[in-house]
Amino acid sequence: MYSFSYLQIFVSLIALVIDIFVQIFSFRFILRLGLLKSVYLGFVAGFFGIFLIEFYIVSTRLILINNNFIFILIANLVIYISLEYCYFNFVNLGETARRIRILWELCDSKEGLSVAEILERYNAKDIIEKRLSRLINHGQIICKDGRYYIGNSTMLLIARIIVRMKLILLGKKSEFE
Amino acid sequence: MKTLFWGSVLFCMALLLHLVIWKVHIPQRQTKALLRIFFGILTMGILTLWITSSLITSFSLLSPKSFPEYFHIFLFFTSLTLGYIITYPGVEADSPSLLIVMKIAKSTPNGFGKEKLFDMLTDDLLIKPRIRDLVNAKMIYIDGDKYKLTVRGILFVRMFILYRKLLNLPKGG
Repeated sequence: MYSFSYLQIFVSLIALVIDIFVQIFSFRFILRLGLLKSVYLGFVAGFFGIFLIEFYIVSTRLILINNNFIFILIANLVIYISLEYCYFNFVNLGETARRIRILWELCDSKEGLSVAEILERYNAKDIIEKRLSRLINHGQIICKDGRYYIGNSTMLLIARIIVRMKLILLGKKSEFE
Repeated sequence: MKTLFWGSVLFCMALLLHLVIWKVHIPQRQTKALLRIFFGILTMGILTLWITSSLITSFSLLSPKSFPEYFHIFLFFTSLTLGYIITYPGVEADSPSLLIVMKIAKSTPNGFGKEKLFDMLTDDLLIKPRIRDLVNAKMIYIDGDKYKLTVRGILFVRMFILYRKLLNLPKGG
Protein backbone atom coordinates (compact mmCIF):
# COMPACT_ATOMS: atom_id res chain seq x y z
CA MET A 1 0.00 0.00 0.00
CA TYR A 2 1.27 3.46 -0.81
CA SER A 3 0.25 6.71 0.88
CA PHE A 4 1.31 8.93 -1.99
CA SER A 5 1.16 8.80 -5.76
CA TYR A 6 3.38 10.77 -8.13
CA LEU A 7 0.39 11.17 -10.43
CA GLN A 8 -1.38 13.12 -7.66
CA ILE A 9 1.20 15.93 -7.99
CA PHE A 10 0.19 16.57 -11.58
CA VAL A 11 -3.57 16.05 -11.28
CA SER A 12 -4.37 19.78 -11.19
CA LEU A 13 -2.17 20.49 -14.23
CA ILE A 14 -3.82 17.66 -16.19
CA ALA A 15 -7.21 19.04 -15.17
CA LEU A 16 -6.19 22.50 -16.42
CA VAL A 17 -5.21 21.05 -19.80
CA ILE A 18 -8.62 19.28 -20.00
CA ASP A 19 -10.29 22.57 -19.01
CA ILE A 20 -8.53 24.61 -21.72
CA PHE A 21 -9.10 21.97 -24.40
CA VAL A 22 -12.82 21.65 -23.62
CA GLN A 23 -13.23 25.44 -23.46
CA ILE A 24 -11.55 26.09 -26.83
CA PHE A 25 -13.21 23.13 -28.52
CA SER A 26 -16.70 23.91 -27.26
CA PHE A 27 -16.47 27.58 -28.12
CA ARG A 28 -14.99 27.03 -31.54
CA PHE A 29 -16.51 23.88 -32.89
CA ILE A 30 -19.24 22.17 -31.00
CA LEU A 31 -21.84 23.98 -28.99
CA ARG A 32 -21.14 27.53 -30.20
CA LEU A 33 -21.38 28.74 -26.66
CA GLY A 34 -20.69 32.27 -25.58
CA LEU A 35 -17.14 32.82 -24.35
CA LEU A 36 -18.09 32.94 -20.68
CA LYS A 37 -20.23 29.78 -20.84
CA SER A 38 -17.42 27.91 -22.60
CA VAL A 39 -15.04 28.90 -19.79
CA TYR A 40 -17.53 27.58 -17.21
CA LEU A 41 -17.93 24.35 -19.20
CA GLY A 42 -14.14 23.93 -19.33
CA PHE A 43 -13.93 24.50 -15.57
CA VAL A 44 -16.55 21.82 -14.87
CA ALA A 45 -14.81 19.38 -17.23
CA GLY A 46 -11.47 19.91 -15.47
CA PHE A 47 -13.13 19.58 -12.07
CA PHE A 48 -14.60 16.20 -13.02
CA GLY A 49 -11.22 15.29 -14.47
CA ILE A 50 -9.62 15.67 -11.04
CA PHE A 51 -12.09 13.30 -9.43
CA LEU A 52 -11.78 10.77 -12.27
CA ILE A 53 -8.00 10.71 -11.97
CA GLU A 54 -8.11 10.48 -8.17
CA PHE A 55 -10.59 7.62 -8.50
CA TYR A 56 -8.20 5.91 -10.92
CA ILE A 57 -5.33 6.36 -8.45
CA VAL A 58 -7.34 4.86 -5.65
CA SER A 59 -8.82 1.99 -7.64
CA THR A 60 -5.68 0.86 -9.46
CA ARG A 61 -2.78 1.81 -7.24
CA LEU A 62 -4.18 0.60 -4.01
CA ILE A 63 -3.66 3.88 -2.21
CA LEU A 64 -5.59 4.21 1.00
CA ILE A 65 -8.23 6.87 1.23
CA ASN A 66 -6.75 8.26 4.40
CA ASN A 67 -6.20 11.78 5.76
CA ASN A 68 -3.11 12.23 3.59
CA PHE A 69 -5.09 11.41 0.43
CA ILE A 70 -7.90 13.80 1.42
CA PHE A 71 -5.49 16.67 2.15
CA ILE A 72 -3.66 16.13 -1.14
CA LEU A 73 -7.02 16.13 -2.94
CA ILE A 74 -7.98 19.42 -1.26
CA ALA A 75 -4.60 20.93 -2.18
CA ASN A 76 -5.11 19.80 -5.80
CA LEU A 77 -8.56 21.38 -5.88
CA VAL A 78 -7.14 24.67 -4.57
CA ILE A 79 -4.35 24.55 -7.18
CA TYR A 80 -6.81 23.78 -9.97
CA ILE A 81 -9.26 26.54 -8.94
CA SER A 82 -6.39 29.07 -8.70
CA LEU A 83 -5.02 28.09 -12.12
CA GLU A 84 -8.52 28.15 -13.62
CA TYR A 85 -8.99 31.63 -12.13
CA CYS A 86 -5.74 32.66 -13.89
CA TYR A 87 -7.02 31.20 -17.16
CA PHE A 88 -10.37 32.96 -16.75
CA ASN A 89 -8.51 36.23 -16.25
CA PHE A 90 -6.31 35.53 -19.29
CA VAL A 91 -9.46 35.07 -21.40
CA ASN A 92 -10.98 38.19 -19.87
CA LEU A 93 -7.85 40.27 -20.48
CA GLY A 94 -7.94 39.37 -24.16
CA GLU A 95 -11.60 40.40 -24.25
CA THR A 96 -11.51 43.66 -22.27
CA ALA A 97 -8.00 44.89 -21.37
CA ARG A 98 -7.06 48.29 -22.75
CA ARG A 99 -3.34 47.62 -22.55
CA ILE A 100 -3.69 44.44 -24.62
CA ARG A 101 -5.71 46.34 -27.25
CA ILE A 102 -3.14 49.15 -27.41
CA LEU A 103 -0.34 46.57 -27.76
CA TRP A 104 -2.32 44.80 -30.51
CA GLU A 105 -2.78 48.06 -32.44
CA LEU A 106 0.96 48.72 -32.16
CA CYS A 107 1.71 45.14 -33.27
CA ASP A 108 -0.36 45.76 -36.42
CA SER A 109 1.57 48.94 -37.20
CA LYS A 110 5.20 48.20 -38.02
CA GLU A 111 6.04 51.93 -38.18
CA GLY A 112 4.62 52.54 -34.72
CA LEU A 113 1.77 54.87 -33.78
CA SER A 114 1.59 58.33 -32.27
CA VAL A 115 -0.90 59.00 -29.47
CA ALA A 116 -3.29 60.61 -31.98
CA GLU A 117 -3.04 57.54 -34.25
CA ILE A 118 -3.69 55.20 -31.33
CA LEU A 119 -6.76 57.25 -30.39
CA GLU A 120 -8.07 57.07 -33.98
CA ARG A 121 -8.08 53.29 -33.68
CA TYR A 122 -9.13 52.94 -30.05
CA ASN A 123 -10.47 55.62 -27.76
CA ALA A 124 -12.63 56.36 -24.71
CA LYS A 125 -15.84 56.48 -26.78
CA ASP A 126 -15.23 52.94 -28.09
CA ILE A 127 -14.50 51.74 -24.57
CA ILE A 128 -17.65 53.26 -23.07
CA GLU A 129 -19.90 51.97 -25.89
CA LYS A 130 -18.53 48.44 -25.55
CA ARG A 131 -18.71 48.44 -21.76
CA LEU A 132 -22.29 49.77 -21.73
CA SER A 133 -23.32 47.10 -24.23
CA ARG A 134 -21.68 44.36 -22.16
CA LEU A 135 -23.16 45.61 -18.90
CA ILE A 136 -26.64 45.78 -20.42
CA ASN A 137 -26.33 42.30 -21.99
CA HIS A 138 -25.37 40.83 -18.62
CA GLY A 139 -28.16 42.70 -16.82
CA GLN A 140 -25.74 44.68 -14.65
CA ILE A 141 -27.31 47.96 -15.80
CA ILE A 142 -30.60 48.81 -17.49
CA CYS A 143 -31.43 51.65 -19.88
CA LYS A 144 -34.71 53.48 -19.46
CA ASP A 145 -35.65 56.62 -21.44
CA GLY A 146 -32.00 57.15 -22.38
CA ARG A 147 -30.74 56.98 -18.79
CA TYR A 148 -28.88 54.16 -17.09
CA TYR A 149 -29.73 52.48 -13.79
CA ILE A 150 -28.23 49.64 -11.79
CA GLY A 151 -29.78 46.26 -12.61
CA ASN A 152 -28.16 43.17 -11.09
CA SER A 153 -25.81 44.46 -8.39
CA THR A 154 -23.00 41.89 -8.83
CA MET A 155 -20.70 44.31 -10.65
CA LEU A 156 -21.45 47.01 -8.08
CA LEU A 157 -20.43 44.61 -5.30
CA ILE A 158 -17.21 43.73 -7.17
CA ALA A 159 -16.52 47.47 -7.67
CA ARG A 160 -16.90 48.10 -3.94
CA ILE A 161 -14.57 45.21 -3.07
CA ILE A 162 -11.95 46.51 -5.51
CA VAL A 163 -12.22 50.01 -3.98
CA ARG A 164 -11.61 48.48 -0.51
CA MET A 165 -8.57 46.61 -1.84
CA LYS A 166 -7.24 49.85 -3.37
CA LEU A 167 -7.62 51.59 -0.01
CA ILE A 168 -5.76 48.79 1.81
CA LEU A 169 -2.98 48.32 -0.75
CA LEU A 170 -2.58 51.76 -2.29
CA GLY A 171 -4.07 54.06 0.33
CA LYS A 172 -6.51 55.63 -2.16
CA LYS A 173 -9.84 54.82 -3.82
CA SER A 174 -8.80 55.68 -7.36
CA GLU A 175 -5.60 55.87 -9.40
CA PHE A 176 -6.53 59.52 -10.12
CA GLU A 177 -6.58 60.64 -6.48
CA MET B 1 -1.54 18.30 4.97
CA LYS B 2 2.07 19.41 4.37
CA THR B 3 1.21 21.10 1.07
CA LEU B 4 -1.83 22.89 2.47
CA PHE B 5 -0.01 23.95 5.63
CA TRP B 6 3.37 25.06 4.29
CA GLY B 7 1.98 26.41 1.03
CA SER B 8 -0.52 28.57 2.97
CA VAL B 9 2.08 29.72 5.52
CA LEU B 10 4.52 30.80 2.81
CA PHE B 11 1.77 32.55 0.82
CA CYS B 12 0.55 34.46 3.89
CA MET B 13 4.15 35.49 4.69
CA ALA B 14 4.57 36.79 1.13
CA LEU B 15 1.27 38.72 1.34
CA LEU B 16 2.31 40.25 4.66
CA LEU B 17 5.71 41.32 3.32
CA HIS B 18 3.98 42.79 0.26
CA LEU B 19 1.63 44.84 2.46
CA VAL B 20 4.48 46.08 4.66
CA ILE B 21 6.61 47.14 1.68
CA TRP B 22 3.64 48.89 0.05
CA LYS B 23 3.01 50.88 3.25
CA VAL B 24 6.62 52.14 3.17
CA HIS B 25 6.93 52.77 -0.56
CA ILE B 26 4.90 51.67 -3.59
CA PRO B 27 7.34 50.62 -6.32
CA GLN B 28 7.00 52.05 -9.81
CA ARG B 29 6.95 48.61 -11.45
CA GLN B 30 4.52 46.96 -9.10
CA THR B 31 4.02 43.62 -10.87
CA LYS B 32 7.76 43.03 -11.11
CA ALA B 33 8.14 43.87 -7.41
CA LEU B 34 5.33 41.44 -6.52
CA LEU B 35 6.98 38.63 -8.48
CA ARG B 36 10.27 39.26 -6.68
CA ILE B 37 8.65 39.34 -3.24
CA PHE B 38 6.51 36.24 -3.69
CA PHE B 39 9.07 34.04 -5.39
CA GLY B 40 11.78 35.31 -3.08
CA ILE B 41 9.74 34.15 -0.09
CA LEU B 42 9.02 30.84 -1.82
CA THR B 43 12.70 30.18 -2.54
CA MET B 44 13.84 31.10 0.96
CA GLY B 45 10.95 29.19 2.49
CA ILE B 46 11.65 25.97 0.63
CA LEU B 47 15.38 26.21 1.36
CA THR B 48 14.64 26.80 5.04
CA LEU B 49 12.26 23.84 5.16
CA TRP B 50 14.87 21.61 3.54
CA ILE B 51 17.71 22.72 5.83
CA THR B 52 15.67 22.58 9.06
CA SER B 53 13.71 19.45 8.19
CA SER B 54 14.87 17.41 11.22
CA LEU B 55 14.36 20.38 13.57
CA ILE B 56 10.77 20.82 12.33
CA THR B 57 10.11 17.10 12.80
CA SER B 58 11.48 17.24 16.35
CA PHE B 59 8.74 19.77 17.16
CA SER B 60 6.16 17.23 15.92
CA LEU B 61 5.42 19.40 12.90
CA LEU B 62 5.03 17.94 9.43
CA SER B 63 8.06 18.44 7.29
CA PRO B 64 8.23 17.73 3.55
CA LYS B 65 10.66 14.91 2.95
CA SER B 66 10.71 14.14 -0.77
CA PHE B 67 11.05 16.07 -4.01
CA PRO B 68 7.37 15.47 -5.03
CA GLU B 69 6.25 17.00 -1.72
CA TYR B 70 8.42 20.09 -2.23
CA PHE B 71 7.20 20.34 -5.82
CA HIS B 72 3.58 20.13 -4.66
CA ILE B 73 4.19 23.01 -2.23
CA PHE B 74 5.81 24.96 -5.08
CA LEU B 75 2.77 24.32 -7.31
CA PHE B 76 0.30 25.28 -4.56
CA PHE B 77 2.13 28.52 -3.76
CA THR B 78 2.70 29.42 -7.43
CA SER B 79 -0.97 28.93 -8.35
CA LEU B 80 -2.11 31.22 -5.51
CA THR B 81 0.59 33.77 -6.39
CA LEU B 82 -0.33 33.85 -10.07
CA GLY B 83 -3.99 34.26 -9.08
CA TYR B 84 -3.10 37.25 -6.91
CA ILE B 85 -0.76 38.84 -9.44
CA ILE B 86 -3.22 38.51 -12.30
CA THR B 87 -5.85 40.25 -10.11
CA TYR B 88 -3.50 43.06 -9.14
CA PRO B 89 -3.67 45.19 -12.36
CA GLY B 90 -7.43 45.39 -11.75
CA VAL B 91 -6.67 46.98 -8.38
CA GLU B 92 -3.87 49.19 -9.71
CA ALA B 93 -5.85 50.68 -12.62
CA ASP B 94 -9.45 51.88 -12.53
CA SER B 95 -11.58 49.52 -14.64
CA PRO B 96 -13.91 51.42 -17.02
CA SER B 97 -16.77 48.97 -16.34
CA LEU B 98 -16.46 49.42 -12.59
CA LEU B 99 -16.15 53.22 -12.99
CA ILE B 100 -19.34 53.25 -15.08
CA VAL B 101 -21.21 51.08 -12.57
CA MET B 102 -20.07 53.23 -9.59
CA LYS B 103 -21.13 56.45 -11.34
CA ILE B 104 -24.53 55.00 -12.24
CA ALA B 105 -24.99 53.73 -8.68
CA LYS B 106 -24.24 57.20 -7.26
CA SER B 107 -26.86 58.75 -9.55
CA THR B 108 -29.71 56.61 -8.16
CA PRO B 109 -32.67 57.26 -8.38
CA ASN B 110 -32.34 59.77 -11.25
CA GLY B 111 -30.25 57.58 -13.51
CA PHE B 112 -27.16 58.59 -15.48
CA GLY B 113 -27.09 59.95 -19.04
CA LYS B 114 -24.73 58.53 -21.68
CA GLU B 115 -23.42 61.95 -22.73
CA LYS B 116 -22.35 62.67 -19.17
CA LEU B 117 -20.37 59.40 -19.19
CA PHE B 118 -18.55 60.52 -22.35
CA ASP B 119 -17.78 63.88 -20.71
CA MET B 120 -16.42 62.30 -17.52
CA LEU B 121 -14.54 59.29 -18.92
CA THR B 122 -12.20 60.76 -21.50
CA ASP B 123 -9.09 59.59 -23.34
CA ASP B 124 -7.01 61.37 -20.67
CA LEU B 125 -8.58 59.10 -18.04
CA LEU B 126 -8.98 55.84 -19.94
CA ILE B 127 -6.26 55.56 -22.58
CA LYS B 128 -3.28 57.82 -21.88
CA PRO B 129 -2.53 56.41 -18.39
CA ARG B 130 -2.47 52.90 -19.90
CA ILE B 131 0.04 54.03 -22.53
CA ARG B 132 2.21 55.37 -19.70
CA ASP B 133 1.85 52.02 -17.85
CA LEU B 134 3.07 50.17 -20.94
CA VAL B 135 6.11 52.46 -21.19
CA ASN B 136 6.86 51.91 -17.46
CA ALA B 137 6.50 48.15 -17.91
CA LYS B 138 8.93 48.34 -20.84
CA MET B 139 6.37 46.81 -23.21
CA ILE B 140 6.57 49.84 -25.52
CA TYR B 141 9.02 52.67 -26.12
CA ILE B 142 8.83 56.03 -27.80
CA ASP B 143 10.74 56.69 -31.02
CA GLY B 144 10.28 60.32 -32.05
CA ASP B 145 6.56 60.79 -31.66
CA LYS B 146 5.68 57.14 -32.34
CA TYR B 147 5.21 54.37 -29.85
CA LYS B 148 6.64 50.99 -30.79
CA LEU B 149 6.68 47.56 -29.20
CA THR B 150 9.69 46.23 -27.34
CA VAL B 151 10.60 42.55 -27.66
CA ARG B 152 8.84 41.93 -24.33
CA GLY B 153 5.72 43.70 -25.63
CA ILE B 154 5.75 41.67 -28.86
CA LEU B 155 6.05 38.35 -27.02
CA PHE B 156 3.39 39.33 -24.51
CA VAL B 157 0.77 40.51 -27.00
CA ARG B 158 1.36 37.60 -29.39
CA MET B 159 0.08 35.19 -26.71
CA PHE B 160 -3.25 37.01 -26.70
CA ILE B 161 -3.38 37.47 -30.47
CA LEU B 162 -2.74 33.74 -30.98
CA TYR B 163 -5.43 32.79 -28.46
CA ARG B 164 -8.01 35.21 -29.92
CA LYS B 165 -7.28 33.96 -33.46
CA LEU B 166 -7.63 30.37 -32.27
CA LEU B 167 -11.12 31.25 -31.07
CA ASN B 168 -11.77 33.35 -34.19
CA LEU B 169 -12.42 36.40 -32.03
CA PRO B 170 -11.81 40.04 -33.02
CA LYS B 171 -9.68 42.55 -31.14
CA GLY B 172 -10.91 43.12 -27.63
CA GLY B 173 -10.88 46.18 -25.42
